Amino acid sequence: MGPLAPYEIISENTNFLLAFFIGIAFGWVLESSGFSSSRKLAGIFYGYDTVVLKVFFTGAITCMLGLLFMSLFGWVDLDLIYVNPTYLTSAILGGVIMGAGFIMGGFCPGTSFCGAAIGKIDAMVFIGGLFIGVYGFAFTYGWWEKLFFAKYLGEPKVSESLGMSDGLFGLFLIVAAIGMFAVAEWAEKKFPREEY
Amino acid sequence: MKPLKLLALFVIPLGIIIAAVPPDRVKHFRLTADELLQEAGAGVQFISPDVVADMLVQKDPSLRLIDVRTPEEFEAYSMPGAINVPLSNLLADEYTDILNQDAYMNVLYSNGSVYANQAWMIARQLGYENNYVLEGGLNYWFGNILSAQAPAQTSPNEEFALYDFRKSAAAALGGGGVVATEGSATTVKAAKPAVTSKAKKKPAGGC
Amino acid sequence: MSNTTTKEKSRRYLNPYLGGVLLGLVLLAANFVSGRGLGASGAVKSVVATTIEAVDKDAVNTMPFMAEYAESHSGSPMRSWLVFEMLGVIVGGFLSGAVAGRLKLKVEHSPKITSRRRLIFALAGGILFGLGSQVGRGCTSGSALSGMAVLSLGGFITMMAIFGTAFALAYFFRRNWI
Repeated sequence: MGPLAPYEIISENTNFLLAFFIGIAFGWVLESSGFSSSRKLAGIFYGYDTVVLKVFFTGAITCMLGLLFMSLFGWVDLDLIYVNPTYLTSAILGGVIMGAGFIMGGFCPGTSFCGAAIGKIDAMVFIGGLFIGVYGFAFTYGWWEKLFFAKYLGEPKVSESLGMSDGLFGLFLIVAAIGMFAVAEWAEKKFPREEY
Repeated sequence: MKPLKLLALFVIPLGIIIAAVPPDRVKHFRLTADELLQEAGAGVQFISPDVVADMLVQKDPSLRLIDVRTPEEFEAYSMPGAINVPLSNLLADEYTDILNQDAYMNVLYSNGSVYANQAWMIARQLGYENNYVLEGGLNYWFGNILSAQAPAQTSPNEEFALYDFRKSAAAALGGGGVVATEGSATTVKAAKPAVTSKAKKKPAGGC
Repeated sequence: MSNTTTKEKSRRYLNPYLGGVLLGLVLLAANFVSGRGLGASGAVKSVVATTIEAVDKDAVNTMPFMAEYAESHSGSPMRSWLVFEMLGVIVGGFLSGAVAGRLKLKVEHSPKITSRRRLIFALAGGILFGLGSQVGRGCTSGSALSGMAVLSLGGFITMMAIFGTAFALAYFFRRNWI
């Protein structure tokens, strides 16, 4: 049955329309969880607010379990689900640069749109910065091109690289996440907490 | 209960389940061209008319005969209990649930086996299961089941058993011009066990 | 201390685990419907590509970035899944904020620093994140979150790089937050 668009069960236009509605749900959940606040987002790095960790990993686990179970029931063909490609150099370098941007700006692109939507001026300025950054990349593309395509490993899954089944890795991830959540809750009790 | 404990109580068992299930179970929705070629080449979709005859006599509820010829031909004659899914209209919405299901054993038939086979290939390519093709179609059915020919005197015993079975089946199904003889009841009983076990295996295959 | 006010205000945000489950379901829906996960930086990229093309019609031939973009996207750059999704995100965020009474035009910053300082860092952070998301082929939503959900190795690596770097640099920017 799924995924619907690759199997042409729905048209491209329907896909875009649904993208809009899915986006609404996405924006709503992010804002309701407090991701429209840069101080809440940065809290994970200082221990006073671990909402990012909890929402992020719970979300990843929920979707992962959902996809694996749907595949088990034959409701979705996992081969047609997009798996992000692995370009080792750019994955790490890009991540480092983004990490610096995160701790300085207190937002990531998705959350900055949420913040801007409720009137946070720092979020709007962040978005402005995003555009400058992307333009910068576009105009200096020549510098980046070589390392942008370096060390292409295909689209491996972590489970494949570790030589275990998707389900088994999923279990490890779940256990690891629950462990992290327990540590996070301990940290929140230990460090002072002010609601923003 | 603390939210974290509740979450853990929910996701960890799910994780254990998904980890325990072997990955092979995660199956494709559609067949690749290679897979279809292999299946078609091996002829796994064919079902013997004797098996179908037996199921009809036994009134096996899992059997569903599907006539893929035109509605006019279907009106003129159809096998007992058959429904009409014309090949030209095979992919219509109304027939999806008939072809894509796992409750019945769908046996597709046409006059020969060309059209039924075509219908099977299309359905199989979409990943549908539990569809089979009546070997030889209606032509063979009429010629060899409903009007079973007595084997020559020198033929092996199995052929006599088969002939007797077909005669009784034809009689039960209202076939043409067969006179039931004594002793056929016992021979039919002897033939039954071998045939029924084959019929039971078929629906399990083709996974 | 201010415990009652803390509790009152926290009731207005969802329980993070519940939020996480809901987020996972939205992500699952995205995967089921379109075969791809959520994202955000890609939408910015689409807008940038559109404006570059509008200003310089020949950019596809002169800028390798535009050439590479044109190769992987057919039709108008704005007709992209992420653009429609991000429009929805803005609407969704606004609605949620409106319902919860959080709509307010303000600069959110730690009481220990000025608004100006906050905005400077927001801009700098945005520039870095914009650049990094292009190099890393995705941001936290597209690469880290969606990538993790489909068990992508690249997604995990990017996620670890983002959070690792942020943790490592946290000490140097602590005055902005705590």
